[in-house]
Amino acid sequence: MATFQNGMAPIRTMDNDSDVEEEALVADYKEQVQYEDGLDDQEPAMSQQDDIQSRLAAAAQPLDFSAGLEAKFSSYDNYCSLFHHILNSEGPVDLEPPSYYWAWDVIDEFIYQFNSFSSYRARIARQGTNEEEIQMLRENSNTWGCYSVLNVLYSLIQRSQISEQLNAMKRNEDPMAVAGNYGTKNLYRMLGYFSIIGLLRVHCLLGDFSLALKTLDDIELNKKAMFARVMAAHFTTYYYVGFSYMMTRRYGDAIRMFSHILVYVSRTKNFQKSAQYDSITKKNEQMYALIAICVALHPTRLDDTIHTALREKYGDQLLKLQKGGPDSLPIFEELFRAACPKFISPVLPDFDHPENNIDPVDHHLAIFMDEIKTTMWNPTVKSYLRLYTTMDLKKLAGFLTVEPEELRAWLLVNKQRSKQLRWTDQSLLVGELVNVSDLDYALQGDLIHISEAKVGRKLVDWYLRNLSRTYA
Amino acid sequence: MNGANGEDPSERPAEIRSIINGLERYNPEAAGVLEAYLSQQCEEKFCDCNANRALLKLYQLNPDRIKDEAITNILVKSMTQFPSPQFDLALHLLSPSQTSPAAKSDLSDAIAKLRVLNLQLEGAQYARFWATLESDDIYADLTTDIAGFEDMIRVRIAQLISQSYREVDVSVLENWLGLDDEDDTKKFAVETCGWKVADGLVQIPKNAENEAKKTEIREDVNIDMFARVIKRSWEETA
Repeated sequence: MATFQNGMAPIRTMDNDSDVEEEALVADYKEQVQYEDGLDDQEPAMSQQDDIQSRLAAAAQPLDFSAGLEAKFSSYDNYCSLFHHILNSEGPVDLEPPSYYWAWDVIDEFIYQFNSFSSYRARIARQGTNEEEIQMLRENSNTWGCYSVLNVLYSLIQRSQISEQLNAMKRNEDPMAVAGNYGTKNLYRMLGYFSIIGLLRVHCLLGDFSLALKTLDDIELNKKAMFARVMAAHFTTYYYVGFSYMMTRRYGDAIRMFSHILVYVSRTKNFQKSAQYDSITKKNEQMYALIAICVALHPTRLDDTIHTALREKYGDQLLKLQKGGPDSLPIFEELFRAACPKFISPVLPDFDHPENNIDPVDHHLAIFMDEIKTTMWNPTVKSYLRLYTTMDLKKLAGFLTVEPEELRAWLLVNKQRSKQLRWTDQSLLVGELVNVSDLDYALQGDLIHISEAKVGRKLVDWYLRNLSRTYA
Repeated sequence: MNGANGEDPSERPAEIRSIINGLERYNPEAAGVLEAYLSQQCEEKFCDCNANRALLKLYQLNPDRIKDEAITNILVKSMTQFPSPQFDLALHLLSPSQTSPAAKSDLSDAIAKLRVLNLQLEGAQYARFWATLESDDIYADLTTDIAGFEDMIRVRIAQLISQSYREVDVSVLENWLGLDDEDDTKKFAVETCGWKVADGLVQIPKNAENEAKKTEIREDVNIDMFARVIKRSWEETA
């Protein structure tokens, strides 16, 4: 706020409109996809498939959608024995990951199965009718337990010394010097690295949004991160980071995250392999829904590509969200439900009392909606205040047909929400409190003094954008 | 985040720091240490929401460890940080069955009551907050462990008022601060806040927040923005 008002360099809510970074990533990714296409043509060098190699490959394979409980239990056992082998053999096991994507696929599938198993178990408990499966779930209460999943992820991170390696890289030192016996091996390094992103996801699924953000302390999002080479990992990271920011009321930071990845996806669309691209289409839609929520709560200028796509996909909903008031509430709920992660509860459900098992999505949504309801009059307040430079509070209350005391609360709420933590260049959780509104006001008794920041034309920005379009 | 909103206070001892930053945060035995630290926060009037969430996380993973009183104390402590996401972040870590209105337990009742209070503070309905607090004896029970609860809320409200107001009616202020009469309100304004009172109006000194000065956002131009254009033109002529 102070900077905003002292005529110093004003803080723009999205100060990094430059797409240089995305462009570099795109070029890098393109090069890599082409390189791998070349590899595919070569004969596989080794044809012998021993047992462990096929287990490694199996761990990265999705479980059949219709798999029964038995298959889910045995899949869990397979993961346990594989991770046990990798983590607890005498010294590091001498294996090369079958492919560049393998480590990500394993962690991704491991967490996906944990997530869907927990959701399934909770649903069976809520319905309370399938006696046979309830019995099986009771007997196998430790299967897919939260502690064991966390244990695997933390152990992989520790074994690989990946945090130490990443920190060495930040200081421009050789990561191998601190990697230890395990971390120098590709298998451990990759598993450790993607386990960090796996943890981000698990914390978010459990509703621990600040711990989720803290998990990424060692990874520098804005540099060419390792995960950027695996599209699905890149995508997943930004979705969960963006979502966690939204849940900690840092809407500007959330928008920055979603915008970055959506711009990136739209530019790499043409040379994506179709299978990989299909899997992210749904998340893509979800992130547009989340951007709609965030931009309604925190009006800001979006990248042109995002803006156009958002209007196409969620144009009507966005208008209602931006108007605020009680009519916007069902739309916030609808978009949140469609776009949130499939939240889970980490403990065994209460099979004896089906009615006690509440869907965690309802729980997190209800808390989120508390804040939405508190701030739902902000758009109304702003739209009226924009019309005046001074205004009598009682008169305005008359226009709005509310009690003056009610309007005083609305004014205070709107003013308080105009300050938001914004990421600077440190870890994701750190930020500085900045003013994010172009409208400011102060009260003298019942007299409201209003000032609106005038935005000058951004000629240079316009010129550069069009120039790059002409040459591209 | 910084100490100002109770996220990472300077009072946090090294022992707690090592628990919440390491794997010890998953050890059920750490709950005892974190509970003792919570009591210390309640007595010594500071707030460490980050450490308290580590305790809630342990409860989330080990429901048999849950102490109802610790949960409600954490909620009351995080409430004092309004307006902030702290209360909500704590709620997210509770089990859905504890926060559901359908659940009939002392804990879920208490949580529901505290949620109402918090919503009033977040929604700047300060007069209503004090009325709610008076309306039921359960609130006195829930806040009894938190030393100086009412004073902390009162000071925070005053701070927030000073960010929006240059002058405020004594009667409005009296309701918002939950004080019983005009004299107490004037006394609080003058002695605690350092404001001036004249003719039923409380005058709040100018600060960066309550001025509402006109500004113009101008374009910020630097040479880096032209880097790509220059690079391209160089490449084309070369």
